[in-house]
Amino acid sequence: MASKKAAQKSLSLAPVLDLNEATALHAQLMGLKGGPLVIDASAVERVGALCAQVLMAGAKSWEEDKQPFTFAKVSEPFMKTMQLIGVNIDHLLAQEARQ
Amino acid sequence: MDMNEIKEIFFQECEEQLAELESGLLKLNDGDRDPETVNAVFRAVHSIKGGAGAFGLDDLVSFAHVFETTLDCVRSNKLEPTQDVLKVMLKSADVLADLTNAARDGGSVDEARSRTLIRELEALAHGETHAAEPAAPKPVAAASKPAEPAPVVAKPDVNDEGFQPIPFSFGDFDDEPAAQYVPTCQIVFRPNRELYAKGNEAVLLLRDLSRLGEMSVYCDMDRLPPLDKMNPEEAYFSWKVSVTTDKGEDGVRSVFEFAEWDCELDVRTIEEEIVGDAADDDEPPMQAVPFDLSLLEDGPAAGGEEEPVASESDAAAAIAAADTASKVAQVASRAAENAKAAAAAATAAQANQASAAGQTIRVDLDRVDRLINLVGELVINQAMLSQSVVENDNNGVSSINMGLEELQQLTREIQDSVMAIRAQPVKPVFQRMARTVREIADITGKSVRLITEGENTEVDKTVIDKLAEPLTHMIRNAVDHGLEMPEKREALGKNPEGTVRLTAKHRSGRIVIELADDGAGINREKVRQKAIDNDLIAADANLSDEEIDNLIFHAGFSTADKVSDLSGRGVGMDVVKRSIQALGGRISISSKPGQGSVFTMSLPLTLAVLDGMVVTVAGQTLVVPLTAIVETLQPEASAIHSFGASQRLISIRNSFCPLVDVGRILNFRSTQANPMDGVALLVESEGGGQRALMVDAIQGQRQVVIKSLEANYTHVPGIAAATILGDGRVALILDVDAVVAASRGQPLRQDISLAATG
Repeated sequence: MASKKAAQKSLSLAPVLDLNEATALHAQLMGLKGGPLVIDASAVERVGALCAQVLMAGAKSWEEDKQPFTFAKVSEPFMKTMQLIGVNIDHLLAQEARQ
Repeated sequence: MDMNEIKEIFFQECEEQLAELESGLLKLNDGDRDPETVNAVFRAVHSIKGGAGAFGLDDLVSFAHVFETTLDCVRSNKLEPTQDVLKVMLKSADVLADLTNAARDGGSVDEARSRTLIRELEALAHGETHAAEPAAPKPVAAASKPAEPAPVVAKPDVNDEGFQPIPFSFGDFDDEPAAQYVPTCQIVFRPNRELYAKGNEAVLLLRDLSRLGEMSVYCDMDRLPPLDKMNPEEAYFSWKVSVTTDKGEDGVRSVFEFAEWDCELDVRTIEEEIVGDAADDDEPPMQAVPFDLSLLEDGPAAGGEEEPVASESDAAAAIAAADTASKVAQVASRAAENAKAAAAAATAAQANQASAAGQTIRVDLDRVDRLINLVGELVINQAMLSQSVVENDNNGVSSINMGLEELQQLTREIQDSVMAIRAQPVKPVFQRMARTVREIADITGKSVRLITEGENTEVDKTVIDKLAEPLTHMIRNAVDHGLEMPEKREALGKNPEGTVRLTAKHRSGRIVIELADDGAGINREKVRQKAIDNDLIAADANLSDEEIDNLIFHAGFSTADKVSDLSGRGVGMDVVKRSIQALGGRISISSKPGQGSVFTMSLPLTLAVLDGMVVTVAGQTLVVPLTAIVETLQPEASAIHSFGASQRLISIRNSFCPLVDVGRILNFRSTQANPMDGVALLVESEGGGQRALMVDAIQGQRQVVIKSLEANYTHVPGIAAATILGDGRVALILDVDAVVAASRGQPLRQDISLAATG
């Protein structure tokens, strides 16, 4: 893994996270690996299962690397969709201090 | 786009679905047990039913429904697709086709037949399965019945996954579970990669599910790999969902209508009583789904899907519309949901033809023809242009020549592509023959197997359309007259099941269709006697076997002792011959007593472009199809041998080959040419033999556009068609086979000759 960087990286998610976006999102996340990450999901209007998969795989990998992976802001559609598809991201929300 | 146009599209698609259905059933009949085949068959019937429902074609719907129910038993492995079962199914496919035709063109169908089949299908569905089949999706028929709570029959042993749904009840937890009559469905939904690839979205499916009733969902992420090992377009998530809904399993399944081929789906109904037994589940609790889903809606698209599954019939209509009309009318709610047109197209394509890749458009044939004609003119024009440039420019300005060469390649490519539009595989015609064989076998009590080969051989659409009728005649003849009764076959040591083989292939620039049976062959004695009786030939005429065989192509000839419903009126074979000739084709027969007969039809690939060798014969310019030519050679005096009075042979690499003087046969000249002055073209003729055609000189090799002689002038024996050369002159295209046949001493006439080779 790359050297741990103290600087916290952040990633703003695109409004539409559909099939076409999954690969791009995966690449973005791969590029950010190794350091703490804050995700801004406040602009998200629509999210598909594939992108949810990528995000969850990211959360898993970050956890393995013992690096924080948090959602700083989430939009309502994002939360609703996550609930709908039964993906619990409560523990990844910024309010839960897990630094 | 008015309703009639949509309906027309529906019928066109029905035709495709029926073809799909039939080929699938035949595959099953041959022992194919691939679930995808069963699915394809099911899908075909289902689509027809759905569309028919939307157009209120009740007969079609009710028959398709029964058929579908039985197919579903096969699909869910409750019913083994044995030969007997498939026989009923193939007949049902025929009736379905009849009903479709009746719905389109009016007319009536044999109601007794369809009623019998309905009973047989129902017997299969019920006899072999349990009294009820909760899994059978029956949206349309259910619409007419009172909405009964579908899952009355429950399966108590659902719990093979150690998972129990927790009933959700917002508000009144004190409800007695048993008091509720609303069934709970447990759904295991595992999408495949294709589901996403086709533009479907698990999230939307789950949202639709959540609208059915109270839903709880658990997302199984166990298969999710770490980020660096994952493929972002692979499907890793799977879901376990429980929905409490009065729509029952049918409602749940209808949500997955468009996705069910691309996911593993298991829907079960749980009886209220057993819910809660497994409270000590170690599964994580499921998340409740909020009811307010409005934020997930796509604003503009919401209009089409106000009530997701308002009633069974609405759902059926929506499904039907999506199935049949989604390409043209934005009716389908799901298609509208997908923002991207590509995604919508993918969904529609998936629904219509999940197995066949590739998209199609429907184009009016006239437009294609116009295009083909124009391209033909373009090719001729290009040839003229390049010729005049070559003639007028002796300096050889290379840039012009290079440009011309490129133009030539381009026109060539355009022409090839345009021709490809017109060409279609003979498969649909062959499939229709399968039905003919079945019906005749049924009526005659014979057991027949139809083997088709080369179904994908492509030929011009006109030829295909006109091929069906003569082929049907010939198949009837082959089964009715050709094949013996099973008992007789057995006594002769043959397989009691007769074989009829239908083959299509390309040969020397034509399409050759062969129909072979392994029956008794032509009874030459009987044919001869009959011909004498009917004054077709003189009693003492001395005819070769081949000539006798060809007598059956005469009008008013039938060897059948009594006229049957099927064939034997004596109108069959001469009609066949005439329709084949009208297509510019030939038909010939070869028969071996006791072993069967082979009918060979050779048809031109009309409208096609021809690669030809331009040759000179007695001052005339002729084009010899390149496909027929094996090699060209300059004869030497030592290689020419005389044979008989006027025949000559040429020896080529230690084998002898008859030398055919083209100019003599076409009556271009009255004396035989000197072989040493000309060039010999070694050609392969239809019979398989080689002949050396003698011409005066070779001008070159060229691509020519076929202009029909029949359409513009009249049929000329020995000439297949005409073309226009670069200098504007008309050149005739040689009919190699006819010339070869003529060289064997058969007259080059087609009107009154006994010979089959016109």
